[in-house]
Amino acid sequence: MTQALRQTSQWIGWVFFRDLIDGLSLTLGYMFSKTITEQYPDREKWVPFERHRGHHFLTTDENGDLNCVACELCAKICPCDCIEVVPYEDDKGNRRPLVFDIDMARCLFCGLCEDACPADAIKLGQHYEFSSLNTEDLIVGRDALIAAPGKAVHGGKVIEASLTTTQGIQVQEKDNGRTYDWWRRIRRR
Amino acid sequence: MAEVLVVVLIIVKVAVVVAVLLFLPIPLTWIERKIAGHIQQRLGPMRVGWHGLLQPLADGLKLFTKEDHIPDEADRFLFTLAPIITLVATFSVFVALPIGEPVTIWGTEITLHLTDMNVALLYVLAIAGIDVFGVIIGGWASNSKYAVLGSLRTCAQLISYEIPMGFAVVGVVMLAQSMSLVTIVEAQADLWNVVYQPIGFLVFFIAGMAEAQRIPFDLPEAEGDLGAGYHTEYSGMRFSLFIMSEYLIMVFLSALTVILFFGGWNPLFIPLPPMVWFLLKTSFFIWLFMWFRFTFPRYRYDQLMSIGWKVLLPLSLANILISGVFLS
Repeated sequence: MTQALRQTSQWIGWVFFRDLIDGLSLTLGYMFSKTITEQYPDREKWVPFERHRGHHFLTTDENGDLNCVACELCAKICPCDCIEVVPYEDDKGNRRPLVFDIDMARCLFCGLCEDACPADAIKLGQHYEFSSLNTEDLIVGRDALIAAPGKAVHGGKVIEASLTTTQGIQVQEKDNGRTYDWWRRIRRR
Repeated sequence: MAEVLVVVLIIVKVAVVVAVLLFLPIPLTWIERKIAGHIQQRLGPMRVGWHGLLQPLADGLKLFTKEDHIPDEADRFLFTLAPIITLVATFSVFVALPIGEPVTIWGTEITLHLTDMNVALLYVLAIAGIDVFGVIIGGWASNSKYAVLGSLRTCAQLISYEIPMGFAVVGVVMLAQSMSLVTIVEAQADLWNVVYQPIGFLVFFIAGMAEAQRIPFDLPEAEGDLGAGYHTEYSGMRFSLFIMSEYLIMVFLSALTVILFFGGWNPLFIPLPPMVWFLLKTSFFIWLFMWFRFTFPRYRYDQLMSIGWKVLLPLSLANILISGVFLS
C-alpha cells in the first residue's frame, strides 16, 4: 500500500517535472549567491596562515644583530642540501654567518631548518611570490633573507591588492585594511 | 513623395534590424558567460573592460585574426556556403517579427516590423527550418566524421521537433483566427494564450530548445562526444557566423514564445511602452534558455527521439483536439 502510494506520488512529481524544478531552484540559488572567486592577481591576494611555510627569513634581535650563530645545523639537516653557511667572527666577537645562501630552486619548504635551529634564527615566512625566469635569481643571500617578510600575524584571509607590471610582475597589497574570510563564502548544503 | 518615404522607411528599418542583429550576439555571449560563471559560483569574464564587458569584442578580434582553414578533402563550395545559409535564414526570420505597436515620429506612423504577412507564422517556422539546412550542409561538407555525426543528429532532431512545434502553434492560430503575428498579439489583449494553451506552450518551448540546439538538446554540437559537432572543422569568421546564428535563433525563439503565448507587447499590470514590455519578456526567456543550459545535462540520442515522438507529438495533437472541442 505504502509502496503504491510512493510510486503514485513519484509519478505525479515526474508529470510536473519535479526533478527538473529541483535542479533549476538549486542553480537559481547559486546564481544569486556570492561568488568564491579570489580575484588574484587583479584585485585580491591571499595572506597565508601563520603556519604557512613560504620564503625563508632570518630573525634579528632588538639591536639589529642576527640571531644566527652560524652553527650550520640547518645546512646539515636540509634534505635537499640547499643551504650554504660560511661562519665568521664579527667585531663583537660573536660567531655569525658571513654567507647564508638558500637555493630556493632546490628547497622543498619542509621547515626542518626551522626545527633544527637552536637560536630560532631561520624561519619560513608568508612570502610566496618569488617565481623567476632564471634559477640564478633564486639563490637568496643573507641580506635578502634579513629583509624578507616574516610570518603572517593575522593570516588566513584575502586582502585587496593590485597588479603592477612596470617592474616585472608584482602583486602589491593595498593598505586600506579591507579583508574577508574566503572560507566563509563557501556554501555548505 | 509619399512613395519615396515608404521606400526610405523600409531601407532604414532593414538597416536598423541588420545592425541590431549583428550587434546582439556581443552582449549575449557576455551575459551567457556571466550566467554560467555565477551558477558555478565563479565571476565569469572580469579582465577586459568593466566586469569583462569588452570580452566579446576581444574574442571577435581574435576570431578575425584566426586562420580561415578549409580541410583538404572538404567540399569547398558547400563548406563556404553553409554558414552563409544559416546566417541568411536566421536574419530573414526577423523580417516577419513584430516588436511593438506602431509609433508616431514626426507625424509619420512607423510600424515596428518590416512586413505584416498574413502567413507570418508559417513563414517564420519554414525559414527557421531552412536555418538547420546550413548546419546539415556544413557538417556534410567538412568531410569529418564528427561533423557528419553532428549533421546526422541535426537531421533526426529537426524531424522529431519541427512537427510537434508546428502542431503546438496550431492551437494559437485557432484562437486568433489568423496566422499574422500582429493579429495573434492583438488577440491576446485580454488574456494571454499561455492561460488557454499551457500544454501548447510547454510543447512549443521544449521543441524550441531543441530547435535552437541548446542544452538539454544540443546533440548536434555535443562537445563531450563529438568534438564540436557540425562546426568541428570551422574556424575563424565562418565559425563565428555559426555561433552568431545560434544566438540569434535563441533570440528569435524567445521572441516567438512571447508573441505566441505571452501576449507580445501587451502590458502586465505596469503600463510601460509596448516595445519595452516586449523586450523585457523576450530577455526573460533568453535568460531562461541560459539558465536551463547550465542546469540540465544533455539528453541521450534515443531519449531525445522518444521525447519528441512519444511525448511531445501526442501532447500537441491532444492540445489541438482539446482546443477544437472548446472552441466549437
